[in-house]
Amino acid sequence: MKEPVIKGNTIIVPSSLEYLTNIDDFIEGILRGFGTDDSAIADIAISVSELVNNSVSHGNKASEDKTVSVSIDKKGSDVVIVIEDQGDGFDPEEISNPLDEANLLKDSGRGIFIVKSLMDSLEVNKTETGTSIIIKKAIA
Amino acid sequence: MKLTEREQDGVIVLEPKGKIMGGPDASLLHDKLYEFIEQDKKKFVVDLKDVEWMNSTGLGIIISGFTTLRNSDGKLKLANVTEKIQSLLVITKLQGVFEAFDSVDEAIQSFNE
Repeated sequence: MKEPVIKGNTIIVPSSLEYLTNIDDFIEGILRGFGTDDSAIADIAISVSELVNNSVSHGNKASEDKTVSVSIDKKGSDVVIVIEDQGDGFDPEEISNPLDEANLLKDSGRGIFIVKSLMDSLEVNKTETGTSIIIKKAIA
Repeated sequence: MKLTEREQDGVIVLEPKGKIMGGPDASLLHDKLYEFIEQDKKKFVVDLKDVEWMNSTGLGIIISGFTTLRNSDGKLKLANVTEKIQSLLVITKLQGVFEAFDSVDEAIQSFNE
C-alpha cells in the first residue's frame, strides 16, 4: 500500500477506499487546529467520506492508478474543502431523491443528499484533469 | 472501526466501534451480518453506543440487513443510537423505519413481546 502524499493542507492518495481512514485523520487534525467543535467535525468528516467514496467508486471507477486529492482551508468563518478526482463528474441536481418512497429502503444513493444536508454548499466543477468538488461549512 | 459480536438470549448483538465510513472496515460489518443471516439467525440488535459516526455506507449496510431479514421473517433492531446517527436517520427519513431502544437489554426484551 502506497503512502499518502501530504503537502501543506492537501492529502493525495491512490484511488482506493483503503485510504479513507488516512483522509479522515488528516481532515480531523486540521479541523481541530481550526478550533472546530465535535459536531461540525463529524458533519464535515461524514461529507468528505461520502465524496471520497464517490470519487473512488464512480469518478475514478476504482482504478488505483488514479488519485483523489483533498484540500482543506479556512476562509473567514467558512471551512472550504476541495476534492478532486480524474472522473467525468456528476450533476448533483440529477441524483434520485433518496426520500422518495421507492428509494427509501435502497441500500445506496444517499451520499450526495447527506452532503447537501450537512454542508452549507456543494459545487461540482469540470477541470482539465477531471472533477473538482467544493464543499463549504461555516464554523463558529 | 472494530467489531465484536455476541449472542444473548438467542439474539445476535453486533457492536461496531469507531466510524463506519466505507472501505474494508465497513465490509467487516456487512460480512459478519450476512454470515449470521446465512446461518439462519433471525434476531439481530446493532448496538451503536460506540459508533462515533457513520455515513451512507453504514446506513446502507444496516438497511440491507434490515430488509433481508424482514423478507425472511427476521428482525434487525437498533440500540443506543447516538445523537449524530439519530440526526442522520432523521435527515434520511429512516427514523421511522427502524425500531430503536435505549439499551441492548431493552432491544433484546422486545423480541419477546
